[in-house]
Amino acid sequence: MDGLDDVFGDLFSSVDGVLLFSPSGSYYERFATIDDVDVIVVGTDNDVGADTFVELPLAFDDVSDRIKFGLEGAFEEGVIEDGDELACATRLFDNEIDTVSRVRASADDHTGIYDLFAKSRAEPDVIKAVLELAIELGKKGQKGKPVGALFVVGDAGKVMNKSRPLSYNPFEKSHVHVGDPIVNVMLKEFSRLDGAFVISDAGKIVSAYRYLEPSAEGVDIPKGLGARHMAGGAITRDTNAIAIVLSESDGLVRAFKGGEMILEVDPEAY
Amino acid sequence: MDWQTFIEEPAVIAAAVLALGLVVGYLVGRLNKELLTAAGVPDAVEGTPFERTAQSLGTSTVEIVARLSSWFIYGIAILTAIHIAQLLNTDAFWFRVTEFIPQVFVAVLVLILGFIIADKSELAVSEYLRGVKLPEISLLPRLIKYSVLYVTFIIALGQIGVHVLALLILLTVYAVGVVIVFTVAFKDFLVSSAAGIYLLLNQPYGIGDEVRIGDQSGIVQEVDLFVTKIENDSEEYIVPNRKVLDEGVVRNRE
Repeated sequence: MDGLDDVFGDLFSSVDGVLLFSPSGSYYERFATIDDVDVIVVGTDNDVGADTFVELPLAFDDVSDRIKFGLEGAFEEGVIEDGDELACATRLFDNEIDTVSRVRASADDHTGIYDLFAKSRAEPDVIKAVLELAIELGKKGQKGKPVGALFVVGDAGKVMNKSRPLSYNPFEKSHVHVGDPIVNVMLKEFSRLDGAFVISDAGKIVSAYRYLEPSAEGVDIPKGLGARHMAGGAITRDTNAIAIVLSESDGLVRAFKGGEMILEVDPEAY
Repeated sequence: MDWQTFIEEPAVIAAAVLALGLVVGYLVGRLNKELLTAAGVPDAVEGTPFERTAQSLGTSTVEIVARLSSWFIYGIAILTAIHIAQLLNTDAFWFRVTEFIPQVFVAVLVLILGFIIADKSELAVSEYLRGVKLPEISLLPRLIKYSVLYVTFIIALGQIGVHVLALLILLTVYAVGVVIVFTVAFKDFLVSSAAGIYLLLNQPYGIGDEVRIGDQSGIVQEVDLFVTKIENDSEEYIVPNRKVLDEGVVRNRE
C-alpha cells in the first residue's frame, strides 16, 4: 500500500495546520503526539478540551458549508493566516472522521457568517437558539402549513424604540427566554401573529407583534424578497441587532446584519 | 423425653430463634439490596470515591449497606438466642450490649451516607465551577467535602454516646464564621438581588424605556436579577439594582 501513501500523501504533505471537525477524544489524543503541526478543533462543543477551538453554531450537514464556516472562524480567532494550506478532517458518511480535504485559506472569501455569531451584540448561544428555532419552524411549519417569522435579536432597547406594537404584547411582564424548553412551542403558536419577535441580548423575549419602523433607505437585500425581509434587513442597519427571517414563500432561513444578508440556509438540509 | 418437653428446652428455642434470625436477616439484606437498586442508588453514588473503593474491594455501596442490615439482624438473633439459652447469666451486661448495637448500626450507616454525600457534593461543586479556570477555586469543593464529613463524624460519634460538645462548639464557630464572611462578601449582591426580584416582578420599567438612574440616563437594554443595563449613544451603564431602589428611577416620557 506504499503506492497509495505516495498518491494521497499530497493531500496532507507540508500543511500548515490541521482542522479537526468534532473529533472523538481518542482521535484527538493521537494528534497530540504529533509535534510540528497546528491542530485546530472545530465543533459545536469543545468535548476534547482542546486549546485552539473554533465553535460551530450549527452542526452543518453540508460539508463545504461546515469547512467554510470553520475556516472563517479560525480566521477571526487569528489561529490561521491568509494563504495557509490546511488539511480539514471531517465526517461525511459515518459518525467518525472519514474525509480529509485540502484547503487553501483565503481572506477574500470572507462572508461574515462567523461575525454573525461571534461579533454580534447578542450572546452566541441566543443567536444559535433562535437560528435553530427558525430552522425547526421552517421544517415543520405550524400545524403542517408553512409559516413565516421574523426574529430581531439583540439591542432590544433600540429596536423597541424603532418599532410600535400592533396589538397587545403577549410577552408583557413575562420572563421567557429563548432556549427554555416550553418556549419553542410557544413561539410556534405565536408565529401565526403578524409582526416581529424582539429578543434581548441575553435571550429574553421582549415582545411579539411588533411593527418595525426603520428607515429602509440604503438597504441592500436581494430583489424579490418580501416586506418581512425588507423590514428585517432594514432594522439591522439602523440598530446593532441581527434579524433572522423565515420566509413563508420559499421556506428558507436568512440572517441579516448591518443591513446585509449574510446567511441563507435551507431548513430541509438540517 | 416426649415432644412437649423437647420443645420447651431453652436450647431448642434458642436454636429456633437463631435460625429464624438468620433467615430474616438474609431476606432483609436481599430486600434492602433490591429496594436500594430500585431507588436508583447505584446511579446516584456512581463515580464517588467511596463507591470506587468499594468496587476495588470487590463489592459496592449497595451491597455494603444491605449486608450491614443483614449483620444487624444476625447480631440481634445471636444475642437473643444466647439470652434465651441462658448460656451467660450476666443480664445487666447483655442489656447494655443490646442497647448499644443499634446505635453502632446507625452510626455506621450515618458514616457511609456521610461519605457518599461528601463525595457527591464535592463532585457537584467542582463540576459547577469547572468553567472557572483558577487553581485556588479547587479548594472550595474540598472545603465543602470536609465540612460534610465533619458533621457526619459528629452525628456518628454522638450516636454511639461519645461526648461531642467540644466538636459541636468548633462546628458552630466555623458555621458562624462562614455566614459572616458570606454576608460581608455578598452583601451587595443580596441587596441587589432583593431589589432585582422586585424589579422583575413589578417591572416598573422595561426593555426599551428611556430612564434616568442617578446621573446615568439612556435606554434600558436588559434587566436581570443583579443589574440593569442602560445605554445611550456612546456609553453603556451597568447599574446594580441596589442603586435603582436607592436613587429611584426617572422614566423619560418626552
